[in-house]
Amino acid sequence: MAITTATLTLSSDMLSSPISISASSTLMKAGITEGLELIEMGRGTISEADASKTAEFGLGTALGVDKAAKLFLVNKATDPTYYIDIDLHDTNIGRLYAGDWMFIPWGINDVASEIVLEAEPSGAVCPYEFVLLQEPQTLVDHS
Amino acid sequence: MATTAQISITSDITDSIPFSVNANMTMYQAGTTLDLEETTGLAQRTFSGSLTQVVLIDVSATAVTAAAGGHKVYIRNTGTDKTKGFKVFLADATDDVEEIGTLYGQDWMLMPWLATDANEDIMVQPSSTEKMTIEYAVFHQ
Repeated sequence: MAITTATLTLSSDMLSSPISISASSTLMKAGITEGLELIEMGRGTISEADASKTAEFGLGTALGVDKAAKLFLVNKATDPTYYIDIDLHDTNIGRLYAGDWMFIPWGINDVASEIVLEAEPSGAVCPYEFVLLQEPQTLVDHS
Repeated sequence: MATTAQISITSDITDSIPFSVNANMTMYQAGTTLDLEETTGLAQRTFSGSLTQVVLIDVSATAVTAAAGGHKVYIRNTGTDKTKGFKVFLADATDDVEEIGTLYGQDWMLMPWLATDANEDIMVQPSSTEKMTIEYAVFHQ
């Protein structure tokens, strides 16, 4: 079985009693103890002039119903004012500013579950990197 | 008052191509290199006996600065059972709800959170009526 592990180490000294989080998970297929088997990774660039673009990775289809997937996405820009607006279909999740990353479970279960990227503000150019880990989708007969 | 997060992903999915990713981030206020200065602290909720979708993180109950844009949310299913999970949902300003995905036992997530509108709550729905626990924290402006 393929073993994929995602580990988080988070620390914050905002409080007088500092927050320290260590979390680690072996990433499995939905509801079972078999490891994810597909990996897709890459790099792209989005600029403010591009307007909003559907991300080129993990395009959702009904084949993804009840399948597990995890997405890592990082904004590699260095200007701290540059950010990537992240939408899940038509819902804005939030902004990844320069250097920010996110790691989420992703229910790629229909065409309305796509990730949409938009660079801001005016003049922004944001390189980004992604890793998509998922289980094989149900194959359909060739027609 | 720095808040930092490091992720490490390793995988042997591909035999011939070793794979690992490491990334660090310092959580800054939007568009600056000033540290985030507020947090809910680490909280925990336990669910039992219901499969109902409930609000986990309420914008109105979290002292986020509207339109700030630098907020981050951490959520983890503290259970060890990989057959049980929490579906995580996010509402938009019109209260349209999108499913983000499912956190199975030990799965965690860290994501930005817009939270510019009172409707933009984060909800969870357990997959089992058995006792299930989730922990979470918001780091915000």
